[in-house]
Amino acid sequence: MKQWLHLSAVAVFLTLLSVFPVLAQEEDEIDLSQIMKAAEKKSLSGGGFLEFQPSLIGLNRDSFFYQLNFGDQGPKRVGQYDFRVRLEGSYEKRTVGLYFTGDGLLRKGFQGWDSRARLFEGYLSLRLNPRFTLDAGKKTTKWGKGYAWNPVAFVDRPKDPEDLLEALEGFYVVSADITRSFQGPLKTLAFTPVLLPVLENLNSSFGKPGHLNFAGKVYFLLWNTDIDFLFLTGESRTTRFGFDFSRNLKSNLEIHAEWAWLTDLERIETSQDGRLSTTVSDEMSALVGLRYLTASETNFIAEYYHNGAGFGQRESEAIFEQAKSPSAVPGSRTGNSADAVFPPLLGIPNPMRDYLYFRTSQKEPFDILYFTPEFTSIFNLDDGSCQLIPGLTYSPQTNLLMRLRGIFLVGSEHTEFGEKQSNYRVEFRVRYFF
Amino acid sequence: MKKWQFILVAVSLCVGSLWAEDGNEILKKVDRNLTPESFESYRQLINIEPDGKKREFVLFTLKKGNDKVASLFLSPASEKGRSTLRLDENMWLFIPDVGKPIRITSLQSVVGGVFNNSDIMRLDYHVEYAVEQTEDSGDEYLLDLKARTTTVAYDRLRMRVDKKNLVPIEIECFTASGMLIKTLYFKQMTTFDDGITRPAVIETDSPLYEGFKSIMVYAKIQKRELADEVFTLTFLPKIDSIR
Repeated sequence: MKQWLHLSAVAVFLTLLSVFPVLAQEEDEIDLSQIMKAAEKKSLSGGGFLEFQPSLIGLNRDSFFYQLNFGDQGPKRVGQYDFRVRLEGSYEKRTVGLYFTGDGLLRKGFQGWDSRARLFEGYLSLRLNPRFTLDAGKKTTKWGKGYAWNPVAFVDRPKDPEDLLEALEGFYVVSADITRSFQGPLKTLAFTPVLLPVLENLNSSFGKPGHLNFAGKVYFLLWNTDIDFLFLTGESRTTRFGFDFSRNLKSNLEIHAEWAWLTDLERIETSQDGRLSTTVSDEMSALVGLRYLTASETNFIAEYYHNGAGFGQRESEAIFEQAKSPSAVPGSRTGNSADAVFPPLLGIPNPMRDYLYFRTSQKEPFDILYFTPEFTSIFNLDDGSCQLIPGLTYSPQTNLLMRLRGIFLVGSEHTEFGEKQSNYRVEFRVRYFF
Repeated sequence: MKKWQFILVAVSLCVGSLWAEDGNEILKKVDRNLTPESFESYRQLINIEPDGKKREFVLFTLKKGNDKVASLFLSPASEKGRSTLRLDENMWLFIPDVGKPIRITSLQSVVGGVFNNSDIMRLDYHVEYAVEQTEDSGDEYLLDLKARTTTVAYDRLRMRVDKKNLVPIEIECFTASGMLIKTLYFKQMTTFDDGITRPAVIETDSPLYEGFKSIMVYAKIQKRELADEVFTLTFLPKIDSIR
């Protein structure tokens, strides 16, 4: 009888364990409905981030740009405080969606307060099925496989080489994605046509106004390689075409490259007597890069970039010589400065011919989760100047991201980085996502 | 070699290969019990630090057939909109600000912590591994798995399988040199929609991350028919539109 009682007790206990597993595993119990609540889809959604970035900027008093902006009486270093808000939102109803990204910046700098608000993206999207999408409005395309530069990004604004992961402002376009998947070595084929109008008050920074430009990208995933063929034609910019590819050579080694042919390009050249002149020619731009990840999660990226539209060492010397000549008036922002003589040349990032980019980062060293030290450098191979950017990124809690970094510019007179206004900048960025 | 020795070796080889064959069948059944061939799921990933601090991520995942997986981060806000795509051995990560997919590797982790990309975008075990040895130990099978190619994240797996439900109880993951990288523990048998009964919780720890723990919790798994074009780079930024 006693045995029966024991057996019954054990049976009841085992039954309870199987019927109420929660009792047995109370410690590990997780409420699945809470996860589904967090995943709930809403027609209207929004988010973004708030950012505060104080910076200390050390100025290079001998540089051309310092002389241009401050003359001989300016400060040695200045502080700058940036307050930024980024808003992203969407409204989706069946196959139609409206998407926007806006950016607002309030800056307290050496010359006082300044503010800027921009619409990065704002477009309507018709998504009939995964094979066909039609978009109309302001949109970024982000073509190319390169990390630091993209010679085939024919309808994008240039990236900020100091902040490559930042969002860019788009252009007003009408574009489509037509996609097909296959079995066999060709897994995906996609065509992306883009219409880009340029008017006096629409996309005016793209090129000559009064024209409708046509660009396109054909994408293949063939033999495990991403391949794009791209083109741009129209009257706002000269016709250009190219291709890119990206492929994993091993599971931790990736190679990528871009090649672009730019027709009828206006370039600055120096004549025999050292005078600057403008010529028109077809030019090639190209990029080749590698990305390598070690077993300990150290990431290396190296890229070589040849900018066919850029100018060489002789042209650079001549431009700075001319800009610093007595006919130019240092210290005046309205005088006959280099900006006025060759407006696009000295202001744009990486305007010369050959560059090398190198970046290394170590994920979560010393078992510190969400912490990444990194080091980036950009070398101008034409004039030997360079930019060195060590940095630390840390996320101490969900939705909070902090970054501390320095930007050091090294170069002699008449070199790209040697003639910049600052020779170092130390910045601390706090970003809160919501 | 004596005749009886030869017979013994031959018989053990035959039995071994038969067991491996059975093991592969068991592995296929384990795969089907874990997920349907094509499905959508909602998961939460939780990274737990030695001091008990937690970081949580919610993912929407789509899978089709043997080689296609796509995931979208729904929360937290800092990760929202990030999406990943796996087509066979190819893996990409799309970050909204960067605006274009970049190739990533299976050993990297898009969320930090112990889970890496191959854990998050896992294909069926039988697609990536072959069973080399099967042991029957009463209530469990013990399967020794070897990666079919060198591109698979872990060279060998040792899988303990619950014989009754044919789902994993524990998986140890090893490098080619035999080093233990991590152990996955399958817990909390749960019945989802479509009658799928499987462990809802996968815990993992690693000797490489002493004191850290990561947990993957399945909140929903449901069969879903999907077009192949969902699993393409052009559709990767738009996955949210088919939720």
